[in-house]
Amino acid sequence: MTTLKWLAAKLAAAIGVVWLVATLVFFALRASGDPLEAILGGPGSQASEESVRAAVEAYALDQPLVSQYLLQLRDIATLQLGDSFARRQPVADLLWAALPSTLLLAAIALVLAWILAVAGAVVQSVSRGRFGRAVGSVMRALEVVASVVPQFWLGAVLIMIFASSAGWLPATSTGNDPASLAMPVVTLAIPIAGFLSQVSRDALDTADIAPFATSARARGASELRVLLRHTLRHASLPAISLSGWAFGSLLSGAVVVEVLFARPGLGRLLQQAALARDVPVVIGAVVIVALMYVVVVIATDALELVVDPRLRRAARARRAPDVAVGS
Amino acid sequence: MPLLRRAVSALALTSVALVAAACTPAPQTEPEAVAGGTLVYATGDAEPTCLDPHVGGNYPQGLISTQYLEPLFGRDADGEIVPWLAESGEASEDGLTWDIALRDDITFTDGTPFDAEAVKVNIEHLQDPDTASSTGYLSVEQVEEVEVVDETNVRLHLSTPKSALLEVLSQQWSAMQSPAGIERGMDENCQAPIGTGPFIVESWAPQQSVTLVRNDDYVPTNPEIDHEGAAHLERIEWRFIPDAATRQSALASGEVHVIDNPLPADIAAAESQSLGHIDAPRPAAANRIELNSAQAPFDDALVREAFIRAADPSPGIETLFAGTASRSYSALSSAEPFALSDEELFRTDPDEAESLLDEAGWTERADDGTRMKDGERLAVRFPVSTNQSTAAEQSLFEQIQSNTAAVGFDVELQPTDLSTWYGALAAHEYEAVSAPYTTVGPDVLRILYHSDGTVPAPSGYFANNAQLTDPELDALLEDALATTDDAERQQLYTDAQRIILDSFTVLPLYDQQNHFLTNQVTGVGTLHTISTPTFVNAQLTE
Repeated sequence: MTTLKWLAAKLAAAIGVVWLVATLVFFALRASGDPLEAILGGPGSQASEESVRAAVEAYALDQPLVSQYLLQLRDIATLQLGDSFARRQPVADLLWAALPSTLLLAAIALVLAWILAVAGAVVQSVSRGRFGRAVGSVMRALEVVASVVPQFWLGAVLIMIFASSAGWLPATSTGNDPASLAMPVVTLAIPIAGFLSQVSRDALDTADIAPFATSARARGASELRVLLRHTLRHASLPAISLSGWAFGSLLSGAVVVEVLFARPGLGRLLQQAALARDVPVVIGAVVIVALMYVVVVIATDALELVVDPRLRRAARARRAPDVAVGS
Repeated sequence: MPLLRRAVSALALTSVALVAAACTPAPQTEPEAVAGGTLVYATGDAEPTCLDPHVGGNYPQGLISTQYLEPLFGRDADGEIVPWLAESGEASEDGLTWDIALRDDITFTDGTPFDAEAVKVNIEHLQDPDTASSTGYLSVEQVEEVEVVDETNVRLHLSTPKSALLEVLSQQWSAMQSPAGIERGMDENCQAPIGTGPFIVESWAPQQSVTLVRNDDYVPTNPEIDHEGAAHLERIEWRFIPDAATRQSALASGEVHVIDNPLPADIAAAESQSLGHIDAPRPAAANRIELNSAQAPFDDALVREAFIRAADPSPGIETLFAGTASRSYSALSSAEPFALSDEELFRTDPDEAESLLDEAGWTERADDGTRMKDGERLAVRFPVSTNQSTAAEQSLFEQIQSNTAAVGFDVELQPTDLSTWYGALAAHEYEAVSAPYTTVGPDVLRILYHSDGTVPAPSGYFANNAQLTDPELDALLEDALATTDDAERQQLYTDAQRIILDSFTVLPLYDQQNHFLTNQVTGVGTLHTISTPTFVNAQLTE
């Protein structure tokens, strides 16, 4: 398969995902409530007859649902995301304003999760003897706790310790200031780190007893060299492919973290819009998130090909790799 | 999950509060007030989608616009109407014409003079369908024509008499804005409305904050200002912090100076943390449960009375609100001078509840103890809006559910988001419901209990959730709106409340909670209209 074909297949899948997501969101929102409410100042509005008529006309709400859906798809396809019902501003402007803050948060959190995960896996891998086994069990327990800890709880505890009691960090987060980013980033990163760490440790353990590691040791390579040159690279593979998933989960975690730390961003925008049934904003935000997710998944697939020559060879040979061959 | 989260954070914060209380330093001397500075306010209410309260018109808009827009009238601590931008307001004998005299020394912050023409532009702005005003529109609905008599006098011609006119004009949702500001169009005016208030909107960073700067040329219209000239504070940073525990942490650590919507446990702990506490219940209606009298089983007054005898909300209110909310026995807020309270009517008596249900024919029992009649269960659908009901209130409903289950009711609490909740109400798929309503004055009774309120507005909304259709009550509420005599008005509202309370369609719970906590600031007050905070006298302390 050529690179071009590979990319085309991935793009087709991406368009499919975005279409599916947009369709689901459109019908879910419209099935459960009247968008008129959002336009006329929220639910329970006592808007006059004239206002209702004007709003229905302005937003084509008098047309059949299928026509409205097709209009929506046309707009997405031409990247016209429309105007927010509630804020009467272009959705693209709202998304554009919110996106950088969330991306920054997610990107730093992903890097931190990776650092924590690799560090955790390495510490366990190099710990030997009875002490090492004890360290290993503690680390494994920590991994499990980290990967299941609810973010709203973790964030609340961090705020209590570092803002309320100690007063070292602000309870709320804005912009790029490291002090205000610290707690949201840690809150987002810890569950992901726990998960990535479990996966890469398993891979590291497998690689550690693989023939290529044994032969490297037999050639007189130090443990450190074995780790850096051979096993770590091997162990990073499953974690790389999981990074796409991790990025998606960071974006959804951003809703919790942004609300908790009062940080402006895509997650909070999405949450507010969903509560207000602001259909164009919800669809716009979800489409953007889906697009980003797809891009990241494609990127991680590509990265895997770079890191693991076997996959490249397999792709060229159009067949799955049969045996794991040492590097 | 939000409920769990709130519970967890509340628990966590309470423990911190206890630790903090244990190591409170020795009492310090009274802190010095300083001139100028930036006050940081953190709100837990929703971020407005438009800073002009004429557009839509909800409480979050009322909160922030109090800082930069002023109404024609206000109220004093006793609930009496007092002039603000107006000098006086007089109704004609037939109640169809109102003469309003205006102050001649007020200028909007863009330099536009405040005059009769400005009042006309504002009322027409509220009535313009393109403005899509919901709350402000209701206050000027009956105004047919605004006549500019001269520069400082306007005459409002009404289609029907409205004794509550000055009360509704005192709401923030019908406050006065610069005609030149309105002229800019909705988009620009939503970003930075121009008023006559002590502060001016400088900028708005969505999801983050609105920056307000001092109006150096402020001419005091608020009669409660305690000094000459402009406000002490130089700026206000109005931040949006949706999570209550985070707001409290930000306050405790000195990151912000004032928060609204604190958790009951945080209010209770405020004193030991040397935080200031302002309790300013919202006016008009009390928080209450309304029973849908239009369909079974609550179309039977005996069954309604039985529910009220069995509900027993008082112990729950005391504990869940940590002593920060008092039980109400009135349909109206305790902030309303005309409120009629009747504790005896709402006494708890489960035995009486049982015999009332027997009398009403609900004598059979299902296996789970629920009463039955002709094969029908005594079921009560109770949709709960998780956007409007706090965690404490939702727990209170659970206690009422359990208390009424003891005499044979099967109350089904249905937690939903706000839109679904309104949907259930519009479809009449409820037997019990708790709906907040904020306005100013006893005329709220007409909005909530006049039979007109059972007919949905064009947007699908109706306010008479008790579904009362009583011609005698309608007449009293209409007469109260028409009369210009205060004593007569009070008598009419008293009679109307008697009918409403005696119908057992309303179970009053407590005033609409409206608390503020403060740190390192003095002089924070609240308006006696919709109880929003004002910082005209506020000063930061060292």
